[in-house]
Amino acid sequence: MRVMASYETRTRRFSRAEYERLIELGVFQPGEPIELIGGELMVAEPQGVAHYTAIVKTAKALEAAFGPGWHARTQGPIGLDDDSEPEPDVAVVPGSPEDYSRAHPSRPVLTVEVAESSLAIDRQRKGSLYARAGLADYWILNLVDRVLEVYQEPVPDPAAPFGWRYARREVFDASARVTSLAAPESSIPVSRLLP
Amino acid sequence: MTQAERPALRRFTRHEYARLIDHGFLDEDDPIELLDGLLLVKEPQRSPHRTAVLLVAKAVERAFGEGWLVQTQSPIILGDLSEPEPDICVVRGSPRDYVDAHPTRPALIVEVAQSGLRLARGRKAAAYARARIADYWIVNLVDRVLEVHREPARPGPARRHWGYAAIETLFADATVTALATPSAAIRVADLLP
Repeated sequence: MRVMASYETRTRRFSRAEYERLIELGVFQPGEPIELIGGELMVAEPQGVAHYTAIVKTAKALEAAFGPGWHARTQGPIGLDDDSEPEPDVAVVPGSPEDYSRAHPSRPVLTVEVAESSLAIDRQRKGSLYARAGLADYWILNLVDRVLEVYQEPVPDPAAPFGWRYARREVFDASARVTSLAAPESSIPVSRLLP
Repeated sequence: MTQAERPALRRFTRHEYARLIDHGFLDEDDPIELLDGLLLVKEPQRSPHRTAVLLVAKAVERAFGEGWLVQTQSPIILGDLSEPEPDICVVRGSPRDYVDAHPTRPALIVEVAQSGLRLARGRKAAAYARARIADYWIVNLVDRVLEVHREPARPGPARRHWGYAAIETLFADATVTALATPSAAIRVADLLP
């Protein structure tokens, strides 16, 4: 059993295999908003109207930008590492949904979190987790400031929660356009993502 | 990372906790206890800790006498989200009284704490106070003192957490008397390893 010493309270950690078995056994309620993040079972941010609208708009805009051969998963599980199975708000993966009928995808080419109250967690904790997994392109659609934060270039950083962070951070406002690393030909107006 | 940036953790009910044990995710020897829905990892049992547990058990057994049961590191039930296993707790009756269910209302809880001191004073004290445990002692191995926590209360609207209003620190040369056995004094020195 792994424990993290940095907290006052150490809690039992779960591996991804254990987490998937707990779901199979029905220990959690169906549709319960939980994610496994570095062995911890996190309760996801409650979903407001703006949050949900942003997810739908972002998924639609990204599918249009990426075109055939890709699809955008919304709040679907990602088999990120041995002790993490997050459910990012939007994740662009190659292929079609049927390609993942046996196992969750593990390496989205673009991962997006829509953030209101979860902004600090999405920036630090999830940012560090995604950087550690080598996800090249991570966006936070920041509904508080109505901007898109783009994170790229994962680098090790012992001070980060999971030992990695993104070296590059760019912020785009509603009037800007943004391009994903994996779809360099198509630029997307940020306004098309915001609710 | 500051406290505010900590994610909210999924809490388990006692029922779910029992299912985790039934399905083999946890077994009875795992150093885990359910406190406020969190699966807490217990302080490792180094020899001073173990020695203190034995000393306390012996001393409180003598002080409480007939009609009381002294449990060491066994589960008790404190509400739907807590099934802790305090180092020592004293309950009414005899072992067979608890064949069908864990005890729920201990007259005294004692935790031995070294690396787990913050936990014993913080989250555990809050959970015990909320369960209205009237007498909660911490054998503090760091400073070699006994901390006696009494008067569970929820101080003011500004602080949402339960806690103990009266906390007394007793040194090795002092004596302590459990609320439930006012006539039997225990020497603090007898509790320290």
